Amino acid sequence: MTDDHSVDDRVPPRNGLDLSRRDTLKGGAVVAAAALTGAAPGPAAAATDVAPLPSAPRHGLRLQTTVNGTAVSVDIDTRTSLLDLLRERLALTGAKKGCDHGQCGACTVHVDGRRVASCLTLAAKLEGREVLTIEGLSEPGTLHPMQQAFIDHDALQCGYCTPGQIMAAVACVAEGNATSPERIREYMSGNICRCGAYVGIVAAIEDAAATMGRG
Amino acid sequence: MIPASFPDRARIDARDKVLGVARFSADVPVTGVLYAMMVPARIAKGTLTGLDTAAALRVPGVVRVLTEADFPAPPPVIENGPPPPPPTLEREIAYRGQPVALVVAETLEAAIEGAAAVVCTYAAAPFAALIDSEGGVREMGEEIVFGDAEATLASAAVVVEGEFLSPTQHHNPIELLATTAVWEAGRLTLHEATQGAGGTRGMTARALGIDPGVVDVKSPYVGGGFGQKGGLGQRQTALIAHASMLLGRPVKLVTPRGQIFHLATYRPLSRHRIRLGATAEGRMVAMQYDAEQEQSRHGIFPSAEYHETTSRMYGIANYLGTSADVRIDRQPPGWMRAPHPQASGFAMESMVDELAYRLGQDPVALRLANTGDVDFRTGQPFSSNHLNACLEEGARRFGWSSRTAEPGSMTADDGSLVGWGVACGSYPSMMVPAVATLRIGADGSTRYAASGHEMGQGIRTAIASVLLESLEIDPERLEILIGDTTAAPQHITAGSWGSAGAVPVAMRAAARMREAVAELLDGREIAGNLHRRLATVRRPFLEIEVSEVGPGQGQDVLQALQYGAPAVAGPAYPTFTTMSYIAHFVEVRVEPTTRRVRVPRVVSIVDCGRVISPRTAESQVRGGVVWAIGAALREATEVDPRYGGYLNNDLADYVVAVNADIGAIDVGFIDQPDPLANSAGLKGLGEVAMVGASPAIANAIFHATGRRLHELPIRIEHLL
Amino acid sequence: MHPFDYIRPATPQDAVAAFANAEAGARYIAGGTTLYDLMKLDIERPPLLIDVTAIAGLGEVDIGDERLRVGALVPMSTIAADPDIGRDYPVLAESLAKAASQQLRNMATVGGNLLQRTRCMYFRNGADGAFPCNKRQPGSGCAAIDGLDRGQAVLGTSASCTAVSPGDWPVALTALDASVEIVGPAGARRMLVADLYRLPGDTPHLEFSLTPGELITGIEIPRPAAGSGSTYHKIRDRESYAFALASAAVVVQRDGDLVSRARIALGGVATRPWRATEAEDLLVGQPLTIETALAAGRAAFSTATPGHHNGFKLELGARTVADALLIAAERSRT
Repeated sequence: MTDDHSVDDRVPPRNGLDLSRRDTLKGGAVVAAAALTGAAPGPAAAATDVAPLPSAPRHGLRLQTTVNGTAVSVDIDTRTSLLDLLRERLALTGAKKGCDHGQCGACTVHVDGRRVASCLTLAAKLEGREVLTIEGLSEPGTLHPMQQAFIDHDALQCGYCTPGQIMAAVACVAEGNATSPERIREYMSGNICRCGAYVGIVAAIEDAAATMGRG
Repeated sequence: MIPASFPDRARIDARDKVLGVARFSADVPVTGVLYAMMVPARIAKGTLTGLDTAAALRVPGVVRVLTEADFPAPPPVIENGPPPPPPTLEREIAYRGQPVALVVAETLEAAIEGAAAVVCTYAAAPFAALIDSEGGVREMGEEIVFGDAEATLASAAVVVEGEFLSPTQHHNPIELLATTAVWEAGRLTLHEATQGAGGTRGMTARALGIDPGVVDVKSPYVGGGFGQKGGLGQRQTALIAHASMLLGRPVKLVTPRGQIFHLATYRPLSRHRIRLGATAEGRMVAMQYDAEQEQSRHGIFPSAEYHETTSRMYGIANYLGTSADVRIDRQPPGWMRAPHPQASGFAMESMVDELAYRLGQDPVALRLANTGDVDFRTGQPFSSNHLNACLEEGARRFGWSSRTAEPGSMTADDGSLVGWGVACGSYPSMMVPAVATLRIGADGSTRYAASGHEMGQGIRTAIASVLLESLEIDPERLEILIGDTTAAPQHITAGSWGSAGAVPVAMRAAARMREAVAELLDGREIAGNLHRRLATVRRPFLEIEVSEVGPGQGQDVLQALQYGAPAVAGPAYPTFTTMSYIAHFVEVRVEPTTRRVRVPRVVSIVDCGRVISPRTAESQVRGGVVWAIGAALREATEVDPRYGGYLNNDLADYVVAVNADIGAIDVGFIDQPDPLANSAGLKGLGEVAMVGASPAIANAIFHATGRRLHELPIRIEHLL
Repeated sequence: MHPFDYIRPATPQDAVAAFANAEAGARYIAGGTTLYDLMKLDIERPPLLIDVTAIAGLGEVDIGDERLRVGALVPMSTIAADPDIGRDYPVLAESLAKAASQQLRNMATVGGNLLQRTRCMYFRNGADGAFPCNKRQPGSGCAAIDGLDRGQAVLGTSASCTAVSPGDWPVALTALDASVEIVGPAGARRMLVADLYRLPGDTPHLEFSLTPGELITGIEIPRPAAGSGSTYHKIRDRESYAFALASAAVVVQRDGDLVSRARIALGGVATRPWRATEAEDLLVGQPLTIETALAAGRAAFSTATPGHHNGFKLELGARTVADALLIAAERSRT
């Protein structure tokens, strides 16, 4: 490996995937997309490479972080937001861009267990931290109780803000802020639903909070 | 045959949406993609005199900067033909925020930096940014006249009059405008966030002078449209398509929200002067209504449609309606949820409320006494009108009978003023042609392809509801292909005609399929579902194609559909008129000191004919009410006339409703099929859901405070 | 966005040294909810970001008998949810709970929040040079003064700038006479929060009384007298997730039915967190009724200068103060 974007063999194997096998790649970092997205890893699981940076930015760094339980090592432009890292480099498109300024909540993910706006989070700040996205919320083939409750209460319409709503809602329950409809409304106000599914969202969170034992 | 009521069924695509795997336009994975960013003009009018791209091209990763010189000349205007496609890049600046260059780079970060590094010089020209600005050109629209309004008003026992204002508002779906163009092996594929894949194909091909036959547009999920992603195509689409063709690589643009405010359409500011006359007993007999709106220099958003519902909601026999455009230097306005009736309904239903107070009548009773069966505008009957049933059911659920009429007469325990208001809404129920193919496989699969765009209203669920009710097929393997020009011709989905364009044709497809199966089996009794039966007779699959047109439409409209052109029938069909109706009952609380307004509960009862998908329909009505709360109390886009453009161009300063703003919203349906409008007995829903809820809030505020407010949004400063 | 280098020092000393060695315009960054936002708008263009979040020892909360000390890196959400602070310093907890959204409160720190920059739309939108702004480009003029000024300040304005100081937390801290701990190239020092903010005057681009390279490391808040009642009352264009049209942080001490001391600070209406001493003085020795509360509220705005569209803030602000006083009085005991 001679260039700056060489494969990082230090990535520890996770979920049974031997990432060091990906050394045929010409550049970029490597993770197992199957592991990132929660798909069942198996002998045939496709370990997709992360797109390398196509041109060297003037100011870059190597980021080592954990996404949905899988170690990720990736070269980034220092300007990159966590949201753009997830969507454009790691093929995790569940978190959505709705404003890019922390004003809508569609990009909500968890960092070290707390909900944040990934669009206003510098990816560089993720060094050594753990990111959880909608793709890693539930085990493959299953639904998190919050996801099921969103279906049951039709707590969505177009679905665009929904991953962010659900990540915020899961955190809302975990924080102990899902104890009444009024409190849920207040603590879910950082997630705009332009379709106007708020009534269903509050009902879904009340329902899921009971299931999750935190209501 | 009009079906019996449909069962409650979960949203068919909810699972994909809650898992985050529903693929919106910007989510489509494309290898080797380049990122684009537009450079917006910073003047409101004038000429681009210089464009220095040197610094932008020095940004590492920037591949190319496209300018006006890179694009073909606009296509010739066709006299009486379809509207021209949006322009590409031009040196003449018609509005602030118009794109003047397109930077394409290997990374998003480089594209953004490159766009900021393009240096533009301009020769600025005088401009008019507001409806009252010097330089605006006033143009009268079509007059709507029936009966003799002037004479009747002159002799009416009671006349109320007032002028109302609805502000500029932007749709702001949470999904940003997004285009990914892939030019490969002579075909151009556009992954576009659009409500009109067919129109996008036609517009893009015309703008670039290429054969629409080589263009495919895919928009299977739209992250909220509300009209913004509709009709006339986005200006960015051809830019990105062209960039991909020039560079031979896929190109992606996700437009920043601040730019979208300046590029996409919007609800224009409008003014409404109404004189409404009634008999002493409260029979509305005449109305004079002058509407005017802000309009771009070449915009086509029609001003006369402010009369579409006001002329039909009540049985007013004498009507004089005028309308005007004031042409100014902004980007074109367009259709935004409940386009005209949101504004005209605020004016009219405020006046009806005032009439009730003037007459000393209950506002519900006054309305009940004025609905009618005849469309005086055409002289023909309504195919159905259950507005009175909506009012009666709403009043019952809301507990209206315990209301005291006097403004300020009801208070809450915390001292808040309580206001109860009512208002009605109506909206044209229209229909569009459709072509559908249905293929059922012996392997257990079902593939249905038709026109339609899923943007949250639940059209995919409504289609599934029909197919699963009518056909014994495996729901797990039902694939519904919509919003995809490679699957079926795509009509724009808007104007509440989505269900009318999707459901009758799906019913026809199911019926035709049942016939085809019967023909195939020829009397043989075979157990199991349709897949099983096909397998038993060793038939790999059965496929049928059907089409549907609206009442009064000929088969020629199917030709228009192939070209992606709008082909809308109604609401005035050859022998009847079809409208959807709603009654909203609203409680407001006005905080005693600081005069904060809250809306703790709303009851909304709808006549949309037969309800096809109860669960998504209920959600859609709630969404309409949320929109109306936003429109009534918060939303206005602000233009500084010295600079043009929009100052509050983000979601912090353009204030939409958040969760804490919304209380209980109780939704009910009359669920009586319309006997004439279409084979499903359905009427449109998405728009009417919003209509009337804003004036219901304004009327409730009057009831709480005694203040009749004539301008939206009603903000805290208006109540201090 | 302008390109930048990024470093993450481990001590305050390393951070200060990195700043001293950097080219002009370097910035400390913690949560980044203001700075990264403004960088996306091209308003901020630092060549170097010094991420201070790896510095140990700045994340402590210490509730003492005499005072509360909060490390600069404590997230806003932590203070908002702390039950002890909610009990003893409700004005603090409420000011944070009513700010931004939970996502942003998890990211933003109580130190960084002190340096939040204005939301003036002419400031935020003008990176391409479309609008003049003395704050963004000194000497260019102010588009807001004769423009769409509904959100602009009515107190502490100048002929150069009417931009509102947007924070809630600094307003609460100002009411409580809190101070900040600072380290910098010249060593450590301490300053009242109220002194951290400059009036715009002729130099609205100079917003804070920090010298280049100074870093806020902690906040110290004296405990209000026993029996005091306090609240943060915030009126917005919607019920949550919005900046204040008007807000009031108040702390009320009573002696019997009469006010012995009142502290009042205003947000959403002034160019800096605004201590309303006229209103405070007026209340001493008075009972708290809606009349005296409103009189105090009006006194708080006696020197206010409305613009074209923000005159309502005088009356709204006065009523907000009045409601806040009555809520705080209700919570106080003698």
